[in-house]
Amino acid sequence: MEYRVRFYVNNEPIELSVPANRTLLSVLREDLALTGTKEGCGAGECGACTIIMDGKAVNACLILAPELDGKHIETVEGLANGSELSPLQESFIEHMALQCGFCTPGMLMSAESLLRENPHPTRAEIVDAMSGNLCRCTGYKKIVEAIEAVAEKGVYEK
Amino acid sequence: MKEFQYLLPHTVAEAVALKEKYDKAAVFMAGATDVVVRMRDYLLTPEYVIDLKAIPELGGITFSKEKGLHIGALATMNEICADENVKQYYPTLAKAAGSVGSKQVRNRATCIGNIVNASPLADTATPLYCYDAIVEIAGPNGTRELPITEFILFVRKVALERGEMVTGIRVPFKEAQGEFCKISRRDQVDLSTVCGTVLKIDGTYRVAMGSVAPQPRRLPKTEALLNGAPLTPERIEEAAQLATTEVSPIDDVRADKQYRLDMVAYIVRNALGKLA
Ligand SMILES: Cc1cc2nc3c(=O)[nH]c(=O)nc-3n(C[C@H](O)[C@H](O)[C@H](O)COP(=O)(O)OP(=O)(O)OC[C@H]3O[C@@H](n4cnc5c(N)ncnc54)[C@H](O)[C@@H]3O)c2cc1C
Ligand code: FES
Ligand code: FES
Repeated sequence: MEYRVRFYVNNEPIELSVPANRTLLSVLREDLALTGTKEGCGAGECGACTIIMDGKAVNACLILAPELDGKHIETVEGLANGSELSPLQESFIEHMALQCGFCTPGMLMSAESLLRENPHPTRAEIVDAMSGNLCRCTGYKKIVEAIEAVAEKGVYEK
Repeated sequence: MKEFQYLLPHTVAEAVALKEKYDKAAVFMAGATDVVVRMRDYLLTPEYVIDLKAIPELGGITFSKEKGLHIGALATMNEICADENVKQYYPTLAKAAGSVGSKQVRNRATCIGNIVNASPLADTATPLYCYDAIVEIAGPNGTRELPITEFILFVRKVALERGEMVTGIRVPFKEAQGEFCKISRRDQVDLSTVCGTVLKIDGTYRVAMGSVAPQPRRLPKTEALLNGAPLTPERIEEAAQLATTEVSPIDDVRADKQYRLDMVAYIVRNALGKLA
C-alpha cells in the first residue's frame, strides 16, 4: 500500500506516493536524489543522516515515509545559496573540520540547528549538541572550532 | 523493514478502536526511536503501525503545585528537559530525560514511549518510580490509572490490556531533594550500565535503580533503613551495601554483575552524601 505525501524539501514542494516501510532517509537519497544526507548506521546512533524537520534536528533514518505529509525538511543541500556556501560551510573548510567528509552533512545540520536556537553557544553546549554525530576522522576538535568561529562572527544573531 | 499499513488516528478513541481491532498485529508509535529500530532489525514485524502523533489531546506538559506534573504521551525528551517547571520542581526527571540518546533522538523520543518500551535501563523510569508517578491509561472500557511500579511488569512487558494505550503520566508534586545518576561507558549517547535516583521527600528517602533487574526497581529495605534514623556516615555505608542485596544484575555487553553492584553502592553513597 502506498501513501500520498505532500511536503517541502528546502522550500521546494514535493508530492510522492510512498510505502510505509521506507524511511525519510531513503526517500531523500533514492527518490529525490538528494545524496548529501548520508546513511551510516541506519539506527539513530551516528547522526550522518541528520536533517532539520519543522525546525528541529532529527535522524532521517528513524522517520517513516508516511510521516512526511505536511512537513518542512531542510537538508545540507539547502544550506548554500546557489554556488555560495553558507558561513558555517565556509568555516568548516577554513578550519579543516573534515577529512573524508562522510559525517560532514550531518555535522553541518546539527550545528545549523544549534546556532539557530543558540547563536552564541558555549563550548560545552556545542559538544552536547554535536554528541549525536560521530566522526571517524577528525577527532572533533576542529569541528568544534569551526562552529565556535562562525558563532563569534555573529551571523546567527536574530 | 517488513511491509505494514500506516494508520494515523486523530483522537484517542480512534486509536483505541484500531488497537482493539488489530490487537497484536498492530503497534503504537510515538517518537519511533524504539519502534523503527526494532522494525528495521525485524525484531518487530507488525501488520499495522498506529502513529499517535496526530492526536492533539496527547501533547503537552502541564504543572501546578495542586495537580502536580502532567506529561502527555507526545511530550518529547527535549521538551521535558527544557521545561521550566520540570527543571525547577523535578530536576532529577529533567536530568534523566536530557541524558537519553542524542539531541536528535530527544527531539523525537517521548517519555511515555520510554516507559511503555519497558527496557530495564529506561532512563526516565527511576525518577518517576521515586515520585510515585501514575500512568494514565485509555482503553475500550474507558480510562484507568496504575502506579508506575505496577505498570512495568518485566523486560518489555507492561500492564496494558487489549486495545489500551497510555495517554499520559502524572507526577505528584512533592518538595524533593536528591539526584539522578547515569553510569554509562561513554558520557554522551550511550545506554545506562546502571542508572538510579535517590530522593528525600518530606524527610523520607526513596531509592530506585535501573538496569540491575528485569525491570526498574524501588529498594524498600534500603528506604526503610534510611527512614529509621539520622543520616550518619555509618548509616550511608550500611544503606549502600544493603542496596546491593535488593538488585539482581546480570553480566552483559555493557558490564559484568560485580561492576553493576559496585555502581549501585556508589550511586546510593554519593547521593546520600550530598543529602547528609
Ligand atoms: C540512538 C538511540 C539512543 C538511545 N538512547 C537511550 C538512552 O540513553 N536511554 C534510554 O532510556 N533510551 C534510549 N533509547 C531508546 C528510546 O529512544 C527511548 O526508549 C524512547 O524514549 C522511546 O520513545 P519513543 O517515543 O521514540 O517510542 P516509540 O519507539 O514510538 O515506542 C516505544 C514503545 O512504546 C509504545 N508506545 C509509545 N507510545 C505509546 C502510548 N502512548 N501508549 C501505548 N504504547 C505506546 C510503542 O508501541 C513501543 O512499544 C535510544 C534510542 C536510540 C535509537
Ligand atoms: S544513519 Fe541515521 S543516525 Fe546513523
Ligand atoms: S570526516 Fe570522515 S567521518 Fe568525519
